Amino acid sequence: MELALLSVGAALAVGLPALATAWAQGRIGPAAAASLAEKPELATTTIILIAIPETMVILGFVVAVMILLRGGGAG
Amino acid sequence: MIVHMVRVRLAGPSARLDDVLAFVQRLGVLHVVRPEVLESLTGAAQHARAARHCRRLLDDVEFAYTTLGLTRPPSAPVAPASLPRAARFARRVRRQAAKLAKQKISLEDERVMLLRYREFFSAFESLIGHELAWPDGQAFYVVLRAGAVSAVQELRKSLVKAVGEEIELLDRPLPSGEIAVLILVSNTSAPKVAKLLSESRVQELPAPAGLGEKNLLRAMPALRARLAELPRALETTAAERRRLAEVSGQELTALRTWLHDQLLVIDARAKVHAGKHLFVLEGWLPEVQREQLTTLSGKELGPEIVVEVLATEQWQGDNAPVALSNPPLFRPFEVVTRMLPLPRYGSIDPTPFVAIFFPAFFGLMLGDVGYGLMLAIIAVVLRFKSKPGTTLRAVSAVGGACAAGSVLFGVLFGELFGNLGHVVGMKPLWFNREEAIVPFLALSVALGVVHITLGLVLAVITSWRRGKTREALGRSVAVLMVLFTVVALLAAFEQLPRALFTPFVVALLVAFPVLIALEGIVALIELLSTFGHILSYARIMALGTASLMLAVVANKMVGAMGSVVVGVVFALLFHLVNFAIGVFSPTIHALRLHYVEFFGKFFSPGGVEYRPLSTWRDHQKHGT
Repeated sequence: MELALLSVGAALAVGLPALATAWAQGRIGPAAAASLAEKPELATTTIILIAIPETMVILGFVVAVMILLRGGGAG
Repeated sequence: MIVHMVRVRLAGPSARLDDVLAFVQRLGVLHVVRPEVLESLTGAAQHARAARHCRRLLDDVEFAYTTLGLTRPPSAPVAPASLPRAARFARRVRRQAAKLAKQKISLEDERVMLLRYREFFSAFESLIGHELAWPDGQAFYVVLRAGAVSAVQELRKSLVKAVGEEIELLDRPLPSGEIAVLILVSNTSAPKVAKLLSESRVQELPAPAGLGEKNLLRAMPALRARLAELPRALETTAAERRRLAEVSGQELTALRTWLHDQLLVIDARAKVHAGKHLFVLEGWLPEVQREQLTTLSGKELGPEIVVEVLATEQWQGDNAPVALSNPPLFRPFEVVTRMLPLPRYGSIDPTPFVAIFFPAFFGLMLGDVGYGLMLAIIAVVLRFKSKPGTTLRAVSAVGGACAAGSVLFGVLFGELFGNLGHVVGMKPLWFNREEAIVPFLALSVALGVVHITLGLVLAVITSWRRGKTREALGRSVAVLMVLFTVVALLAAFEQLPRALFTPFVVALLVAFPVLIALEGIVALIELLSTFGHILSYARIMALGTASLMLAVVANKMVGAMGSVVVGVVFALLFHLVNFAIGVFSPTIHALRLHYVEFFGKFFSPGGVEYRPLSTWRDHQKHGT
């Protein structure tokens, strides 16, 4: 039971930020594409802007790994 | 490294200005700027007029050059003996080239159109006898779309209903699948048929215009003859174009180079203060070339022209143009720095740091001998396909460095296409990423501490150089606070002696008000964001682990598919996908770690690129 709860916790830790990242990138992507159509020189800035929300899911992944390691559910 | 610049002033009699500009252009080291102190005496309107004439002439030359398909490299500039004659020559060649180009397009269009008709010819040709057997009638030629067999019957029914039995309808299939239909009607019924066809949106196939014959069948012999003539006509046009290119190519190329050079000089002249008697020209050049300018100026221009190096106090360092100069090993990484606006003069060029950390971060994330070698192959191919000095060549070098990083860390982690290395006897020399997730995380964050601290130290140096002592002190305190926090945390987790915890926490508490006093409350937010930035380096571990896990999954496919062959194919495909992700994702994230986390600490964009007045040929050579 405890392992199941840990797994759900880990899944939520990575899943919810993944949804948030997807939502944020879904908003940034079209805006970036529109900006690039008018100003191609903004390519670097747009790549960075799209990569910024990924921090959420990456930190979520780290937290999920920590949950599983602490609970003995990984490895 | 940002090249150290000096500002020089050249002054002399106005009558010598042309000589001076020609000398400066030949030398190709002076970035000409408008002097700020003196009142403008540049005669902007006169220069604008000269530039307009030059551009108009160049427009003619460029049009003729492109239209004639000339691909000669820029030749030595030859000043025309008479500018009006050169203008007439350029205009004449432009007109002839345009005429030939138009003729060629028209002939090609005609050929394409006639070829489209060709398949209809044979289908309708067999119907010709029927038309001729009904000389008083009128013929309609229509083409029905492919697969419309029932449409022929429907068309026949509608026509019979409209005009009775006074029609004859014959159909033939075309090679394209369409159906060619010939409708013969009496003259009295023809208007009704035309109306019906128009209402049912059936398109009649007209004879091409310009052959003096509206009837398709009767126009056919003429069409065939024209189709046979066209290749010859096209060849004649091409020969005329070649002849024109041959006759005028050399003069056109020399004139083109001269005009481009003139435009560069006119642009520079607009920045020179030239009065009735004297001129003053100012510009920037790398300090190492100062000697060359003064020596050669004395030799070639004589004592009339005075070259003066302005003291540093006389110019604002911020306005100096920026030229990056790095050792050959680091130079390709300028491509990463140049993706952002250039750093301001007097700030720090981050290229050497990028050259060290970028391949390291990439290697830590991809960290696989197999994938590293695949990337190395791509880098080698790019190197052979690119020319020296181009962006593609720089990208190939960066790719090569990243490949080396991946192979190096792949050896340290014992990875070859994931855990396949273990099968062939590879052992991790450092740690196994599959199991040692926490050490990998600690390593990533530790790298973050090093990278961010370096960024903060560079920020201190930048502030110090600019004379902003208070800002430099504030940033120094921020560096110390980051280091104190790290030591306190390590002591708290017993990675360092526990006794260090209290002194470092006390030091933090002392440093905090000092930081606020020096930089204000904003410093607190900046400090918190700095810790956020350090944690952001956890992505190195996250992406590295994800890449490894995907490779492990790919390897497991071999035994999971039932058939070994199918398993191997799937595994190879999966490795290929993982390689593509494994190259793209670490690139984006290594870039992000540099641009957002590292550059954010010290980078001051907004530098003006160093563009010396030189010949157009030099501009072309250096891709500027």
